[in-house]
Amino acid sequence: MATDARKKEILKGLYDAVVDFDEDKVVELSNAVLAEDVDAYEAIMDGLAAGMEHVGDLYANQEYFVPEVLMCSDALYAGLDILRPHLSGKEADVKGQVVIGTVEGDVHDIGKNLVKMMFDVAGFEVHDLGRDVKLEKFVEEQMKTDSEIVALSALMTTSMLAMPKVIEMIKARNPDAMIMVGGAPISQEVADNYGADGYAPNAANAVQEAIQMISRLREMGKA
Amino acid sequence: MAEQPQPRQETMSPGERMGAILMRQRPDRVPFMPFIFGYCARNVGYPIARVYDDPEKSFWAQMWTAEMFGYDGGAMYAYASMGGWEFGGEIKMPVSEWEQAPIVAKFPAETPEAVDALEIPDVETAGCYPIALEFNKIQQQFGMPIMVMAFGCFTPAGNIAEVDKLCRWMMKQPDVAHKLLRKCTDFSKKVVDYYVEHFPNYPMMAFTGEASAANQIISPKQFEEFVLPYQKEIHDHILASGIRNIFCHICGEQNLNLKYWAQMEYGDPGILSFGHEVDLSTAIEYFGDKHAIAGNVEPQIIQNGTNQQVYELCKAAIDKAKMAPSGYLLMAGCEVPVQAPPYNIYVMKKAVMEHGFYD
Ligand code: B12
Repeated sequence: MATDARKKEILKGLYDAVVDFDEDKVVELSNAVLAEDVDAYEAIMDGLAAGMEHVGDLYANQEYFVPEVLMCSDALYAGLDILRPHLSGKEADVKGQVVIGTVEGDVHDIGKNLVKMMFDVAGFEVHDLGRDVKLEKFVEEQMKTDSEIVALSALMTTSMLAMPKVIEMIKARNPDAMIMVGGAPISQEVADNYGADGYAPNAANAVQEAIQMISRLREMGKA
Repeated sequence: MAEQPQPRQETMSPGERMGAILMRQRPDRVPFMPFIFGYCARNVGYPIARVYDDPEKSFWAQMWTAEMFGYDGGAMYAYASMGGWEFGGEIKMPVSEWEQAPIVAKFPAETPEAVDALEIPDVETAGCYPIALEFNKIQQQFGMPIMVMAFGCFTPAGNIAEVDKLCRWMMKQPDVAHKLLRKCTDFSKKVVDYYVEHFPNYPMMAFTGEASAANQIISPKQFEEFVLPYQKEIHDHILASGIRNIFCHICGEQNLNLKYWAQMEYGDPGILSFGHEVDLSTAIEYFGDKHAIAGNVEPQIIQNGTNQQVYELCKAAIDKAKMAPSGYLLMAGCEVPVQAPPYNIYVMKKAVMEHGFYD
């Protein structure tokens, strides 16, 4: 059993290793978590995920760019692969399920990929449909997986017009499904007009918004 | 009530106006070159795909739309998702009502081994080039200058490998990224050589552009290593081959890259266009002495804004950039959205007519 000081050192080490995209270090420390009996959930949340949150800030401040963020995410996944199998009970439960994709007609998927990664980190099960996704595919996948959330990305004013349509199609089949929209031309106002349940301006906020959406769903006794 | 500006009489044809810019002379008014492709097809009743897959229809849709709105930029063949198809992958033409431009449907090189195996294609058979060449021959038939779509480096590389993969290679296997960028650069030079050989002594301008190198994706340092040397080599090659002017579209948020773009040549003069993310005053500061500046009316507003908003945005752009030392062209920040209300395009011209004249 690690002492408090040692535990702190490991968590801080994981945090730093994600930020420095030092994959080897993440692996070494994740193994130390298991060997020294540190709580795997804490290691994920206060080490890896906290580090990734900081990476999000670095991206927002133009200190990191997409290549660095992808390296951090690779480091983070290396840790998750080791630690996740050791989560117990409630902690191992997924937070929720998300179907995500860039809508039909739109090739821009770099932002969508970042949002997907943040959902993954936060413990969601993510079903990524990719880019240029046919509208019916969102409906089918939501039904098939019974996901609480469908996250739609659009980077163009042309393709964003598909959003109200797909929202209507999903709600017609499953009124309880919660839809979240995002991408450069989307704003809270657009999201409201389209009948979406949630919106976030960036990947980090997307997860917080999703968690709030799911709690709303649970409060309504539907989840 | 403030006095309404009166539209003035044009004294130059569109060709003369563009010619004036290229001779560093003041035209009668600010030229209006919207940057409009898929819209033209829709405008004349064709499916959007025709502008990309049918040279004849593409040419006429663009010419008729130019005539209808009275803008100056004629016709050109280009789109941003180039690279994948040309190097052996697949392209999907826009088909549904939400689409605006082609999309790479299959990336030809998603592994380092596949990058190694990529061969520089023949221009005559590579992806969209047979279509572009037919399109250019029609331009030639009508005595219009040809816009050579000069391919490029970073954006095509992202369209060959997927941008995320290219980004990972930049960090972990930079030699793979460089290898791919080298192949794109070599193909670009081959394209230029082909045009110079097959359209000898014909007036041509080269089109280059970069979207995936925007600072929304890569850092200025990465730009310096992975874009600058290749893009510069392509521009140098274009100019050495005798093509005098480059029209370069610097797409997206590129403020941190401008100092590197300023290290490249664009001809005498070049035309540099910008998205709404780069302020026109900044663009003029960096490039205005040597080159004409174009841009940067936000496409989203052209589609979703009111006509008053579009007019005000154009007026502000004209007021800011009209006196740029080497000239200014009113242009959208990127392709005019296919769903834009026609009246919003009309008011862009109206703004030029009411505020764009030189006295
Ligand atoms: C890179 C790029 C490309 C690349 C895309 C490569 C790829 N695989 O993604 C290429 C070169 C292929 C390309 C093609 C085109 N492009 Co482009 N492109 C861009 C550019 C410069 C950057 C986009 C980007 O990747 N940003 C980085 C990521 C990380 O940011 P993001 O996507 O905004 O995502 C963040 C948030 O928005 C949010 N988010 C994103 N999705 C979601 C989803 C949810 C649920 C939530 C909550 C949040 C969220 O979180 C993300 C991270 O914080 C933009 C400029 C811009 N202002 O956006 C133009 C831009 C999007 N493109 C534009 C255009 C016009 C085109 C083309 C039509 C050009 C053409 N004629 O060929 C084609 C479209 C092809 C098609 N059918 O889709 C225009 C669109 C204008 C409009 N009408 O709205 C833009 C806005 C340029 C401009 N200045 O006007 N492009």
